[in-house]
Amino acid sequence: MAILEVVDLVKDFGGVVANNHISFDIHRGEIIGLIGPNGAGKTTLFNCIVGYHKPDAGKVIFKGNEITGFKPFMTNREGIGRTFQLMKVTAGMTVLENVMVGSFCRTENRNFAKVEASAILGFLGLDEVKEYHLNELPIASQKKVGLARALATQPELLMLDEVASGLNPKETEEMVNLLKRIHQEKKITLFLIEHVMEVVMPISQRVIVLDGGEKIAEGLPKEIVKNQRVIKAYLGERYAKDL
Amino acid sequence: METLRDAFDFSDFSKGERIGLVLFTLFLFIFPWLGAGSFVKAVMIQFLLFSLFGMGWNTIGGYGGQVELGKAQYVGIGAYTVALMMVWWKIPFWVSMPIGVLIALGYSFMIGYPLFRLKGHYFAIATICTSLVLQDIFINWKLVGAAKGIELPIHEHPDFLYMQFKSDTYYFYFIFALFYVGLFYMNWFRKSKLGYQLRMIKDDEDAAESLGIDARWCKIKAYSIASAFVAVGGGFLAVYNLYIDPYSVMDLDLSIKIALMSMLGGAGSMWGPIIGSAFLVPLDRFLGSWLGAQKGLIGVDFMIYAALIMIVSAYQPRGIWGIIEQFRRRGA
Repeated sequence: MAILEVVDLVKDFGGVVANNHISFDIHRGEIIGLIGPNGAGKTTLFNCIVGYHKPDAGKVIFKGNEITGFKPFMTNREGIGRTFQLMKVTAGMTVLENVMVGSFCRTENRNFAKVEASAILGFLGLDEVKEYHLNELPIASQKKVGLARALATQPELLMLDEVASGLNPKETEEMVNLLKRIHQEKKITLFLIEHVMEVVMPISQRVIVLDGGEKIAEGLPKEIVKNQRVIKAYLGERYAKDL
Repeated sequence: METLRDAFDFSDFSKGERIGLVLFTLFLFIFPWLGAGSFVKAVMIQFLLFSLFGMGWNTIGGYGGQVELGKAQYVGIGAYTVALMMVWWKIPFWVSMPIGVLIALGYSFMIGYPLFRLKGHYFAIATICTSLVLQDIFINWKLVGAAKGIELPIHEHPDFLYMQFKSDTYYFYFIFALFYVGLFYMNWFRKSKLGYQLRMIKDDEDAAESLGIDARWCKIKAYSIASAFVAVGGGFLAVYNLYIDPYSVMDLDLSIKIALMSMLGGAGSMWGPIIGSAFLVPLDRFLGSWLGAQKGLIGVDFMIYAALIMIVSAYQPRGIWGIIEQFRRRGA
């Protein structure tokens, strides 16, 4: 059964069509990669699904219920978690408190939220930085806190916006392993925007490619890397001809 | 039960803070017996009253990070409810004050619902406007005394039903008690779900929404809590001054002072509003009476006042408490 169905979604920013009639399904338990060059409309698509933007046309269906135009907090309560490409790095709250806010989404009890949050921090290997503030952490840990926060809301579908950007190869590898564990141990469906091919290709079961607001390809990773249109979009027309 | 335990549990504060709180409480207990003059006592009452206002403001302005500059309208609502109910129907303070709080709550939902569509500076400006509009209505509304205001009928001393006393000592203990109710409430609030959610909204509203937080609804709730706090203070002001008019209880000046004191002390911290008001109320009063009385120096107190605020906000935007914490971190 499809956990998320996007049907004919359009988002038009007055002249620039960021998402042009995009449709796809995501099934429970899958890991789906979303790739495309800069400005392809990947983040816009995320925002339309989660509710930061209102789609101009089309439908978003989650677990069989239509959630088109829901506010972000509503889609979260339905069971969609998301992380941001750029996290606001603030000094207002500690790591533990950040994750507790996520847990509070499902409970009223502070002690319970604390236990939950601590467990998630343990799962992600963030135990040692619990009492630190976000601005005191390296970027890899900040990204993990973003992940922890979203996990604490107990999502069924987790949407990750460039979770590996700004990480070095070693940290990237660690992140890939973490995503695999989240997928296997927590049984969460993953949907990720990613630029780093080392992340998308090994873990994605299917890849969706956007370019200029249109879906130009969808398929298995090994098919996608051979797809002419994808190569053209990524490498430019001249290189594609030479291939 | 858990709520009560949270309210009285100060164990997550540092030892210094707890000792400070105990000493401060003891000092307040014996203060009226230290032989202070009536001027000093009046300043002390003002200090506790503004701390109470500040604690209320701190829920939405400090923890929630929404610059709110219209608290005077709720002081007015609290004060007018108590005063009018007493003049018209002889309703005692302990009945009219809660009614005033309820009216303030209802009114704040009405105002907060549309206002929280706005963000940042626009929200701040809108809060000023609503407060000014209400003040103008009261200035022109004959039924409630218009610009002349209303005097409360004097009762025999001491009257614990209408809370009217001849001696400032009674008023002092009265506001002292209200202050501690506020303090315990805040101690609960900062650990509550709403407290956490507000701090997240302040840090990063988009992220907060992605964590299932209805940011607008949270802000409206916090705004109403703040309004209720301030309305209690307004009720006290009515029985303390025994005379109110729209200029004394609904002025923009009052709104700004409430916000400023908390910001100067440290918005979003437990002690910020108390420190801010401990600093600014005496400064305001003493400088005012000392410099204001001398020829050619009228207004100098305001300059000093303004300069201090600018220095603190330039040096540490998180106020005096922010400076203290900065030193503590360096020391640790």
